[in-house]
Amino acid sequence: MAPPRSRLTRRDALRLGGLALPALALPGLLAGCGSADGSVGSVLRVAQTSDPKTLDPQKQGDLTSMNVLINLFDTLTTRGPDNQLAPGLALSWTSPDPLTWRFELRPGVRFHNGEPCDAKAVAFSVNRLLDPATKSPIVELRYVKQAVVVDELTVELRCSQPDPIIPAKVSLFGGVVVPPGYLKQVGSAGFAKHPIGTGPFTFVEFQRDHQLRMRANPGYWGGRPSFDELVFLPMPDPSSALASLQSNEVDIVASLTPDAALQIQGYTGVEIRNYPGIRTSYLSLDTTAGPLRDVRVRQALNHAVDVPLLIKAVLDGKAREVPTMFPREAFGFDPSITPYSRDVGLAKRLLADAGFPNGFDTSITAQTGDSNIAEAISGLLAKAGVRARVDLVDTGTYTSRLTSDNRGALGPIYLAASTGWTLDAESLVQSNVRHDRRQSRWSSPGADRLIDAEELTVEPAGRQRAFTALQSLLKQEAPFVFLYQIDNIYAVNTRPRWQPGVVGVLGMAKAQVAS
Amino acid sequence: MTAPTVSVAKPPAAGAGVLRVIVTKVLTAIVVLFFVATAAFFLVRLSGDPVKLILPPDASAAQEATLRASLGLDRPLFTQYLDYLGGLPRLHFGNSLVYDQPVSEVLLARVPATLELAAAALVVALVLAIPAGTFAALRRGRAGDSGVMAGVLVGQSTPPFWVGIVLILVFAVQLQVLPASGYGGFTHLILPAVTLAVYSVAVIARLLRSSMIDVLGSDYIRTARAKGLSTGGIVVSHGMRNAALPVVTVIGLEVGTLLGGAILTEQVFSWPGIGRLTVEAIQNRDFPLVQASVLFFAATFVVVNLLVDLSYTVLDPRVRVNS
Repeated sequence: MAPPRSRLTRRDALRLGGLALPALALPGLLAGCGSADGSVGSVLRVAQTSDPKTLDPQKQGDLTSMNVLINLFDTLTTRGPDNQLAPGLALSWTSPDPLTWRFELRPGVRFHNGEPCDAKAVAFSVNRLLDPATKSPIVELRYVKQAVVVDELTVELRCSQPDPIIPAKVSLFGGVVVPPGYLKQVGSAGFAKHPIGTGPFTFVEFQRDHQLRMRANPGYWGGRPSFDELVFLPMPDPSSALASLQSNEVDIVASLTPDAALQIQGYTGVEIRNYPGIRTSYLSLDTTAGPLRDVRVRQALNHAVDVPLLIKAVLDGKAREVPTMFPREAFGFDPSITPYSRDVGLAKRLLADAGFPNGFDTSITAQTGDSNIAEAISGLLAKAGVRARVDLVDTGTYTSRLTSDNRGALGPIYLAASTGWTLDAESLVQSNVRHDRRQSRWSSPGADRLIDAEELTVEPAGRQRAFTALQSLLKQEAPFVFLYQIDNIYAVNTRPRWQPGVVGVLGMAKAQVAS
Repeated sequence: MTAPTVSVAKPPAAGAGVLRVIVTKVLTAIVVLFFVATAAFFLVRLSGDPVKLILPPDASAAQEATLRASLGLDRPLFTQYLDYLGGLPRLHFGNSLVYDQPVSEVLLARVPATLELAAAALVVALVLAIPAGTFAALRRGRAGDSGVMAGVLVGQSTPPFWVGIVLILVFAVQLQVLPASGYGGFTHLILPAVTLAVYSVAVIARLLRSSMIDVLGSDYIRTARAKGLSTGGIVVSHGMRNAALPVVTVIGLEVGTLLGGAILTEQVFSWPGIGRLTVEAIQNRDFPLVQASVLFFAATFVVVNLLVDLSYTVLDPRVRVNS
């Protein structure tokens, strides 16, 4: 298992093949055309795998769309460079009672068309999101009943049950603010064709599957961006995106896998940058059936899967081990809880104690994109005697089975990953720990009580206590095999200066471009 | 659907025959498209539930149900089918589930790029394949023939995406004379068009070679030679025209292959065409968009076949008076 070596060899082979080929090529055609488009100046060009699905920020909920739209729109709260919650369009927030969150807005903010961004606009935005007719895929505001204007710069979100992390949730697109007057004027379809927000960039043009251009907003409340134009280019194939970087057609290639990143090693003028990320991977174990009902078996699997080795060998070191499934940056993480020791001998003893001295047969289901990881985990488990066949399914099938009523649809073990964008541990466990949740395969009255405590308490100290106890319980009972949080990986040329937050969204307001 | 069916029609006179062929073909095409539309509708629904892909996995069942209802996916299957069929004659394909935009708008925006790429590839293929195939036929059994045929075999057996990546590495990364990907001027078109053409060059050149060899061995060519015509004159005035018939059929089929092959090529070169759109639509289970793209591909095939059939009557008078 030495990907760097084999990658280099393959790339060299391609280079050699390339040198042999020009004999076949078309010198005649080439003579007629100029050099590749290398126009630079005060432009930042960012490639990611696809385009935003729509430019209506309330009708999308996927990372590639958010990456673009966060540059056109603002949210009520935001994340500072330290990943802490910081003021956005709201300057401050309080919870006067457990069912209400009150936001005081930043005065003087205007949309790109001059329309004021006030409490009416915020209330309109939240209520539009909640209206089923909007068909919004944004689900964070599930406990919000409605938004109410208190005065010109004060707005309240009224909930059906306590939701302590509303301020974190409105740092995502649940808290995006859209212009009511403009929407009334052009309608939803017109808005999606020419979006208008309060953000650091204004919309210029969008040619789907080709490019999306925006210009610096001189009147941005957070200060005008330091460069003039921001262009997003959709490039589905990582090899050709990296080739575009090397031929100076883009400045940043985002969302790379460790595997793809290795292709670019050794080229001058381009580099790989990886930053800590929060996407957390784990194996979900079906504790309701078979050998996995026994806690010793589940602990054995945790001892057997050598996560540091996995990170080094398969992920090129671009990930961090996690003790449970809470990412280090999330509220609720407790550093005093340590990861499992990696010990095949101990794993074998635990299996023998549980009545499986010769191990057992099982399967791991994973998405096709995660095949390397799943195969490697299968190999690590085999060392302890657990023979796990790897079943690969496409993303669509995986998602359907994950959320189906049959909680065993993905088999006894499946490889999962979640991005807790709220940076609150609740997002990591809300759908798969309490026994009655959609993806839960574990029943523990103690865990249920702790989940209720952290979900329904507003006061942070109490929530932290519940989270700490929950992490101890998760580690002890091991209903999951805890793996790692993967880095955010970018390939860049020498022009941009920019540092992403752990959430990994491509907000470019503070980026700088050397010309 | 290909050539031989033409001879079944028994036209009384050339002009009326062509008209009758066209009418028959158009009616057949409508029936074919109806079946394609039906198959697309039901097959895409077997692939699963788009709501599961639109919403994040931590959405509640109630949130899923609400979205499903607002997309109209909770209605009985047959109602949805009738609705869909009803829209087809007016070219109403509904709204894309993912892009929240009329499907016809989404689709039409990409058609030009794909046609542009396929047409450029076809031109490249013909420009390379016709001389290569003719040359090989004239040099039959000699070194020149083996050389061309070996090159052609390599072209035919190399996967297009690999050709694409190699071309990018050479011309964009190493030599930096052409853009690696994207859409815009003429320079953006060259690499994807060549990539897409490679396979078709091989197919067309091989077929032209064997067809030309047959023709060159026939009686009327021997007669022409006996009359003292030069080889060049024979090839141009007699060989080409007679060897073209099977080649035209294949070119027709190649248009289909080019459109299909465009899916991979568009992916590698970030080309904003129908191929890439369709791949994404399938991944997203965007039912209305998948249905419309499938119909688009089917309609293109049907139209190209019709044109191929009609071209026979022009190229070979025997087809008109046949039977």
